[in-house]
Amino acid sequence: MAVQIVMDTTGDSRHEFNAADAVEVGKAAQRFKQLTEAGFTAAVRTGNGRSKIIHNFDADAEETVFFPRLQGG
Amino acid sequence: MDDLLFGLAFNALTLFCGLFVVLLSGLLGNPQGQVFAQRGKAEQRAYTLLKRWLLPDQIAQLERHGYFEVRGLHSGKRYRIRSNRNMNIEEIDDNGSRVAVWCFGPVGCLPLGDHMLAQKIALETDEQAALAVANRSWPELRRGRYLQSNARVSSDVAPAITGQL
Repeated sequence: MAVQIVMDTTGDSRHEFNAADAVEVGKAAQRFKQLTEAGFTAAVRTGNGRSKIIHNFDADAEETVFFPRLQGG
Repeated sequence: MDDLLFGLAFNALTLFCGLFVVLLSGLLGNPQGQVFAQRGKAEQRAYTLLKRWLLPDQIAQLERHGYFEVRGLHSGKRYRIRSNRNMNIEEIDDNGSRVAVWCFGPVGCLPLGDHMLAQKIALETDEQAALAVANRSWPELRRGRYLQSNARVSSDVAPAITGQL
């Protein structure tokens, strides 16, 4: 199962989906679109412990984290 | 006499209100306690997520020193992300000295672990964009109380100011 993790005040909200299920993948892609359009940044982990920003939905990503837009503190 | 009566009545009313709040709080299942408990769970979830995205040596740094270090994507500079919410990103030079302090983070009141994870991802993936929205201060200037911690100063002005202190 792949998972989309959305940072929020509860720690995070998790949305799991089966990458082999077209309906679930469609819902996950829709969620990706809604979140990124709302200003969230989507990131996935790469093998060397670093991370990578993605701008398009990746059904093969095992774990995608979404965080709100950045602002100066 | 009137003052004495007024004082007694006021104290009685205060005591009554205090008892009422305590009783109501108990009847409603101590909502303040629930809020703190929920916040604690959120912090724990965020900290667990943060650790999943860190390398083993970064986790060791975090647990031992309360910070971990990352490299900026564009400059290759070292940044130390401390377990604080404000002004918690230190730019470290090759000698290990702190040369600047940066502050940026995700919008909203996220748990600290999420806040730090967003900072890590931003520096590692789009350092320039992150620093473009960040506020910066120089440690020397902060010690001299010359600038507010969130003051914006261009990079070519700062050394001149530092020299005046």
